Amino acid sequence: MIRIVTLSEFPPDVIDFVTRRLHAAYGMGCEFEGEGEIPNAAMDDEQSAYDAVKAVDEMDDDVALYADDKILYLTAEPLTAPAGPMGRGPVDGYAQYGGGKAIATAHGISDRGVPLEIGLAKRAAHYVGHLWDLHHCFDPRCAMHPGWSPGFAAYPEVALCLFDREKSERKIKLGST
Amino acid sequence: MATKSQEPVIGDGSLHIGDRVVYPNQGICRITGVETKHIAGQNWEVVTLSREEDGATVMVPKAKVMGIGLRKVADVAAIDRVFDELSTPNLDPQLDWKVRHRENADRMTGGGLFGTVEVLKGLHALSRVRPLPQKERELYDNARHLLVGEIAAAMNIPLHVAEDNLDYALWPPEGMTRKGKALPPATLGPPSPARSAADDLGFDDEELGAEETTATATTAAPAAAESNDDEEKKEEAAPTAKKAAAEKTKPAHKPEHAPTRREKPAPAAAKKAKPAHAPAKKPAAAKKAPARKPAPKAPARKPSAKRPVAKAKAKAKR
Repeated sequence: MIRIVTLSEFPPDVIDFVTRRLHAAYGMGCEFEGEGEIPNAAMDDEQSAYDAVKAVDEMDDDVALYADDKILYLTAEPLTAPAGPMGRGPVDGYAQYGGGKAIATAHGISDRGVPLEIGLAKRAAHYVGHLWDLHHCFDPRCAMHPGWSPGFAAYPEVALCLFDREKSERKIKLGST
Repeated sequence: MATKSQEPVIGDGSLHIGDRVVYPNQGICRITGVETKHIAGQNWEVVTLSREEDGATVMVPKAKVMGIGLRKVADVAAIDRVFDELSTPNLDPQLDWKVRHRENADRMTGGGLFGTVEVLKGLHALSRVRPLPQKERELYDNARHLLVGEIAAAMNIPLHVAEDNLDYALWPPEGMTRKGKALPPATLGPPSPARSAADDLGFDDEELGAEETTATATTAAPAAAESNDDEEKKEEAAPTAKKAAAEKTKPAHKPEHAPTRREKPAPAAAKKAKPAHAPAKKPAAAKKAPARKPAPKAPARKPSAKRPVAKAKAKAKR
C-alpha cells in the first residue's frame, strides 16, 4: 500500500488524480492518509528551502506501516539536497532507496508548463519507484526519467517503461512475501 | 600494534577485516572475517564478506581474493575523476554489438571503477541513438546500480543524492557546470553533432517508425545506425515489436488512460505483431527450407512406382 501524506494544501482532485495514477503505475493500493507538517529542523542553512533528506528522516508521523507499505509526502515547498560531486542541482524530491519513505514537491511544476496534477503524479511515481529500488531511466517517456530533463514536459503520461514495470513487479512480489 | 600483527593477511595485505570493499558485479561489501571451512574433504581458508545492500554473506577462498578483482572502495579523488569522465559527452558509441558485448563483459567482470563507468557511459550514449536490447538494458541498470552504490559509499552521501549527481553529469540540467565549465543541457534527441549521412549503416525502418511515433520531439539529427549483423536485429526484433504493440494500445495524448497493469495483453499483442516483422519472417522461411529436404528422396520413389507392377504380378499369380 502506498500512503500519501500531504505537507501543504492541495486541491482534493489533484490528490485523487495522483492516487489513481500511482495505483495504475504500480498496481498496488494507494490512499490519502492525512496531513502533516515539515519539521522546522529540516530547513537548510540558508533558510530558503527544506533539506529533503532531513525532512524525510526527521518526519514525525503516526502513519502505521506494514511490511510492504510506503509513505509518500507531498509538499509545495522548495526542496534542496546535500551538495554532491557535481554541486547542487535541481531537486524535486527525495527517496530512501529500497526504504519506506519519499517526498516529492510540486514546486516549479507550473514553470515548466505542465498541469499541476500531471506533474505531481509524475514526480510521485518517480519517487515511489526509487522506494522499489528503481534507478533513473534513459527513456524520456518513463516516469523514472530524471525530472529536470525536457522529457518531463514533453510526455505527460504517468507510466513506467517495460523494463522498470517488470522490475517493480518483481520487487513488489518479493516485498509482499 | 599487537592486534594488527595478529590480524590475518588478506590479499596483498592492503585489505583488513572491517574494510569496505567492492566485489565485482555484487557491489559494496564489508569484510567480516577469515574462517576455515571444511568443504569437499579439504580445509579452505575463506574470507567472509557481508553485502551491504541486503546483508547476504559471500565467501571467497583466501588465495583468490586478488584474482577475482576484490578492491577497496574508491577514494574521493577517484570519484572526482569519474565525474570528469561522465561529464564529457560520448558522441561515438560502439555500434558493433559483438565488440560491445565482449568489451562490456570484460569490464564488468574486471570490477574496476572506470570499467563500470565506461559501460554506463557507452550504453547511455547508445541509448540516445537507439533503444537498448533487453540484455543491455539490464547491463545498463546493473552498471548504474554498482556505480551509484560506490559513489554513495565513497562520498558518504545518500544513494539518491549519488544518483542525482550521476545524472547531473549524464543529463545536465540547464546551468550545470563542471569545474567552471558549462555543460550542454540535455536534449531529447541524440546529442549533436550527429554522424554524417555516409555513416548511416541502415536502421530498421520499423525501429525508426517506432521512434518517430513515440518520441515526437525526436526530430533532431539523423541517428547513427547499426551494424549489418542480422543476429542483433533478431535480438531486438522482439522488444521493438513489443514496444510498438504497447504503443498501439496506449492512447497518445490521454493521460487518463495511461497504461495500467491490467493492460497486460501487450505481450499477446506483441506476439501478434511479430509475424508482421520482416526480419522475424526470414528465419522462419530459412527453417522451412530444410523441411523440404525430403525432395532428394525422389529416387527412393522409383521402387514405389514399381509397386503397382508387383501388385499386378501378384494379381496375375492369383
